Amino acid sequence: MSDLFVVDSLTVTLPTSRGPVDVVKDVSFTVGRDDTVGIVGESGSGKSMTALAVLGLLPRGAQTSGSVRLEGTELLGKSERELRAVRGNAISMVFQDPLSSLNPYYTVGLQISEMYQTHRGGSRRAAKHVAIEALERVGIPDPGRRVDHYPHQFSGGQRQRVMIAMALCCSPSLLIADEPTTALDVTVQAQILELLAELQSTTGTGMIFITHDLAVISSIAQRVLVMREGDPVEYGSAEQVFSDPRHEYTRMLLDAVPRIDDEVSA
Amino acid sequence: MTRYVLGRLGSVVLILLAVCLFTYLIFFKLSPDPAVMICGKTCTPDRINSIRDVLGLNQPILTQFWEFLRGIFAGRQYGSVHCPAPCLGYSFQTNESVWSMITARLPVSITVAVGAAVLWLLAGVIGGLVSAVKQGTWWDRTAMALALGGVSVPNYVLALLLQYVLVVKLQVLPFPSAVPFADNPVLWFESYLMTWVVLAVGYACLYARLTRSNVIDTLSENYFRTARAKGLSGSLIMRRHALRPALTPITTIFGMDFAGLLGGALITETVFGLNGIGKMAADSIAKNDQPVIMAVTLLAAFFVVIGNVVVDLLYTALDPRVRVVSS
Repeated sequence: MSDLFVVDSLTVTLPTSRGPVDVVKDVSFTVGRDDTVGIVGESGSGKSMTALAVLGLLPRGAQTSGSVRLEGTELLGKSERELRAVRGNAISMVFQDPLSSLNPYYTVGLQISEMYQTHRGGSRRAAKHVAIEALERVGIPDPGRRVDHYPHQFSGGQRQRVMIAMALCCSPSLLIADEPTTALDVTVQAQILELLAELQSTTGTGMIFITHDLAVISSIAQRVLVMREGDPVEYGSAEQVFSDPRHEYTRMLLDAVPRIDDEVSA
Repeated sequence: MTRYVLGRLGSVVLILLAVCLFTYLIFFKLSPDPAVMICGKTCTPDRINSIRDVLGLNQPILTQFWEFLRGIFAGRQYGSVHCPAPCLGYSFQTNESVWSMITARLPVSITVAVGAAVLWLLAGVIGGLVSAVKQGTWWDRTAMALALGGVSVPNYVLALLLQYVLVVKLQVLPFPSAVPFADNPVLWFESYLMTWVVLAVGYACLYARLTRSNVIDTLSENYFRTARAKGLSGSLIMRRHALRPALTPITTIFGMDFAGLLGGALITETVFGLNGIGKMAADSIAKNDQPVIMAVTLLAAFFVVIGNVVVDLLYTALDPRVRVVSS
């Protein structure tokens, strides 16, 4: 397994009114091709900040140190212009709430094709064709017609499919999914996870899957990074982390997952 | 969509009818007898009565209202005076039909409104946008402080101040007068410029603050973050994913403000002595010329109602979420 993507002692510092605060502290992990790394933690644990740091999308005034390399190329410290060529192209992202993450003023077709055109050029017509194919690949029925529809005309699960279609339309080598199933029903969640796994196996895209849901992570990730208040608490293969957690906090998280065979205390 | 448009137009007719009736009742019931006003100094009860007959004031109120409505479409006869359709009444003080008074002055008010609207949209939206992008900088703070000040200065103070400085002291501008554009475009521009500026300042300040807060809101939207994560160019992100969502709500208030101005800028037109609808309204109120007061009120209501419908229809084109509900 070659290392597609390497994060090496990444630290993110945000300015606050009470001085700088490290929201991500010395985080390291690697993602291989066709490999999924899960990042788990509660809200405020620094999961999303890690993802945003990778794409250079941190809030203004944020400082980063360490190293983030995609196929050997350092990303930290790149200019905005250079980062723009990476975003959506080599690394793309799927966000938590698909309704608010899609622009309500434009058709889903335009939102997919504008990204394709930005990175690959070509005519508007060709880009629209790419959008239709992308929608078809994620299982949107009647994509030729749906491509001209607006986000509010889709169901929640379909919207997330649209987001995934968009994220994959430039065949990125790394996909960052930031809580992609959190806003969805449990049954739809399963469908989206299945879709992501299926697409990954056909495209060989590496994936960082961010969630607070351990059940979700166990079904999709090969390796797991557990974070708490910006600290990497535990990092290892999914099997090891779930069956033999080394850290107290991981054990606590695992215990917090309700199980169907748990006895209900009165 | 067609059904929606027809429905809206139907409701417009109803609203205008209600406005007509209400205005009619107010002006012809609550103000002094117009016959007495017309009669003048050498007045006798007989003369008043005959004037009342000519004006139709001795008939029941609803009959009078019906005559008024009929006059709008069919024209009307006041004794020997004929008021051709569309007859909104006849002013016996100026011996003119109200309609011809309006049509003579409307171009001035439209010129005033359009010029001011262009100015305040440009200044307000661009100022607000720059402030939003440079949020927290000295530019932003200065601009917003000025905007707050600008909103607070009354029109007539600004008008008198500008007039004193630019016309009387520095003599860089002529005294405002309604010079037709075709006669002398430069003088036309110069004589309207102060009016436009005075009217535009308040609106521009309001729009700048509104644009700024709308753009800042949009910049923190999730879809704006998505647009950045997609690697789109800066200008495309601003144009598509910040400006369009931020400016769409502004069309609503712009439609209303502009429509309101078409009904006449009473204070500004009066201060600058421009013979528009606003000044006509002020004059007719001073002279208690009821047919004119009423027609001006109706005209203003008409513009506001029509402006509202135009904004609604425009909105279905601008915001796809509205489109679906309406079809």
